[in-house]
Amino acid sequence: MIRVFLVDDHELVRRGIAALLTAEPDIEVVGEAATAAQARGRILATRPDVAILDVRLPDGSGIDVCRDVRSQNPDVKCLILTGYDDDEAIYAAVLAGAAGYVIKDVQGSGLIDSLRKVAAGTKLIHPSMSGRVVQRITDTHQADPRLESLSTRERDILPLIAEGLTNREIGERLGLAEKTVKNYISGLLSKLGLQRRTQAAVLHLENRSGPLTL
Amino acid sequence: MTDAPSFTFPDDARGELDKALGDLMSRAQDVLATQGRLRALLRANQAVIEHIDLPVVLQRIVEAAVELVGAQYGALGVISPDGGLEQFIHVGMPDELATEIGHLPEGHGLLGALIEDPHAIRIPELSDDPRSVGFPAHHPPMHSFLGVPIRVRDEVYGNLYLSNQSSGEFSDEDESLVIALAATAGIAIENARLFAETHRRQAWAAASAEITAALLSSDEVDVVSTLATRVLTLSDADVVWVLQATDDDDYMRVETARGIDEELIQGTRVAVTGSLSASVLEGRQPRLVDDSAEYNLVLSGGRALGPVMAVPLVSLGRATGVLLVGRLRQAPRFRRSDLEMAADFAGQASVAMELAEARTTRERVALLEDRGRIARDLHDHVIQQLFAAGMELQTVAGATSPQIAERISKTVADIDGSISHIRTVVFALSRPAAERNTTVRHAIIDLANEVAPRLARTPNVSFSGPVDLIITGSLADDVIAVVREALMNVVKHAAAQNTSVELAITDDEIQLRITDDGHGSEGSSRRSGVANLEHRAAQRGGSFDFRSDETGTQVIWSVPIGDPA
Repeated sequence: MIRVFLVDDHELVRRGIAALLTAEPDIEVVGEAATAAQARGRILATRPDVAILDVRLPDGSGIDVCRDVRSQNPDVKCLILTGYDDDEAIYAAVLAGAAGYVIKDVQGSGLIDSLRKVAAGTKLIHPSMSGRVVQRITDTHQADPRLESLSTRERDILPLIAEGLTNREIGERLGLAEKTVKNYISGLLSKLGLQRRTQAAVLHLENRSGPLTL
Repeated sequence: MTDAPSFTFPDDARGELDKALGDLMSRAQDVLATQGRLRALLRANQAVIEHIDLPVVLQRIVEAAVELVGAQYGALGVISPDGGLEQFIHVGMPDELATEIGHLPEGHGLLGALIEDPHAIRIPELSDDPRSVGFPAHHPPMHSFLGVPIRVRDEVYGNLYLSNQSSGEFSDEDESLVIALAATAGIAIENARLFAETHRRQAWAAASAEITAALLSSDEVDVVSTLATRVLTLSDADVVWVLQATDDDDYMRVETARGIDEELIQGTRVAVTGSLSASVLEGRQPRLVDDSAEYNLVLSGGRALGPVMAVPLVSLGRATGVLLVGRLRQAPRFRRSDLEMAADFAGQASVAMELAEARTTRERVALLEDRGRIARDLHDHVIQQLFAAGMELQTVAGATSPQIAERISKTVADIDGSISHIRTVVFALSRPAAERNTTVRHAIIDLANEVAPRLARTPNVSFSGPVDLIITGSLADDVIAVVREALMNVVKHAAAQNTSVELAITDDEIQLRITDDGHGSEGSSRRSGVANLEHRAAQRGGSFDFRSDETGTQVIWSVPIGDPA
């Protein structure tokens, strides 16, 4: 039996997914949450095999929840569920240290398939893909001196995130307290996370240059 | 001898008395005459100072001088800063005669002597004087001459020239009187100048206030053009141009032109190298040029600019434009106060431009915010609800008959299609236009929009998989080129109703599918159009498939995913 926990702020979405999952004989939904705060406590309490997390939550991000939970209990695998596109989703999943991502697409997403694979311990995101994500983040930020570039620590941490390590594991590798790692990652996420589109817009506006065009 | 008493007056004494009486009468007459002349001087002074308009004042001075000393001809020459005569106001010479003589005196000969040494000159016969250079043809003969300088403050402003005194030659007294009149004239000129300057500053202040008001108003008035119009009138110029830097460093553009040839000049590009504008931009200092011949500022009909003022427009510390104010060649030069005024307006023009840019930026921010909000709404509500509804339907399908399940499944597929479209829209809305083309997805969306006007409908674009992450560098160039060629083929040959572009990343390959429902391939022309696509696929070890019949055409272009570019 695969034990699944659902985190999404839309009740309709949770209900739809739950209905779909419970129709499968080998899958059981052990709990649901609508906010990041609820999710942290309940996931650790119910110890599911897989937590399905929406990226956008009213009080935070599924990425943070995933990292927190996995630091406490690395046995819980995470599957990021998002209404955004693949490009956005893969960033989120890599940063979250999730096993994979599923975009909100009823037939095409292969949710059940992905769920079974993740439960069996398969990583859906190939390491070369995580590598690309990290590479892209580093490139983008080096190219933008105006956007606060990542600190050295943040740069150290990025590839470890891509390896899928939890905050605790990263702390052990770098000789930092888990709490410290968590702070670095929060800073990193707020710089890169799903805010990056808005930041790109801001950057673009701030960088207006060249002769006036009247 | 008779004894009759004879009353005789000694001859000697009588002679003395007569003489005394005669002297007395003559003195009295002299006094009367002098009094008369002094009265005439007073009248002349009054005539000169009762006017305030400079051209009128100058005219009156000459008329009064001529009357005062009984001269036949009189003139006033205004000295230009470079030494010659700038203006020549004459009295007594009929206009037609002046026209016949042609040019006005330029300040040579005797007139020049007076400019060089500003002291009164009095000559009984001009032709006897060595300094005289003679007269031009048609000039009436002149004999006696009196020249007196007019000083304004401590500067020699000009000279009064009088000739042909009615009784033959000018007297000491004539000279004294004209010198006295010249002193008054100096004051009158100074007053008229001050008055004109005050008047000008007033007009300038009024125009400034008007422009400031326009700047502050929220209406989208073209402040720069209002400003150019005001500068044109206030500085008595023939042209006013506002030049702006362009993307091309070698050229500037005349954004606003007022005055002669304004329609012709507005919008033209001007080479920067060696131009007056370039020197002003570089030095960041306004320039006053008396003769701009070296810059060759030519207008239509062989006219050219002479005196020119050029002021840099500095915005946010950068000099990005130039305000150029010019008069035609031969026109009076600009003065320092004109430059001051032009600089003042240039400052306002800079503010106007900054404001206009800030306004554009604000609008752009508002637009971006608006787009962001729409994208968020689509994502947070529309996609979630469609997805949830699809999930429910999917669940229901499992519990019904196979026929109904099939229909539901079709509906769910439609819902997925909608979600995918919305996702593409959300993506397209989320990034500012200037950043486009940096990713494959934006480039393809832009291509679809670009060909849309030439198709029945905008092509449907959908993506699946982390397209932007995988397709970068030269691979991106290839994909974009393939989409462009395939879409152009549809535009040229297919007459399609619906076109779609699907780009998908699967586990190991990139697949690009372009389909249309047009009337299919006709002959070889379309086939040759796709040869290039085939080549691009082959080079990457991929495949290319082209199928076309009367119901439509499908192009599938796929290449393996390589190592990160």
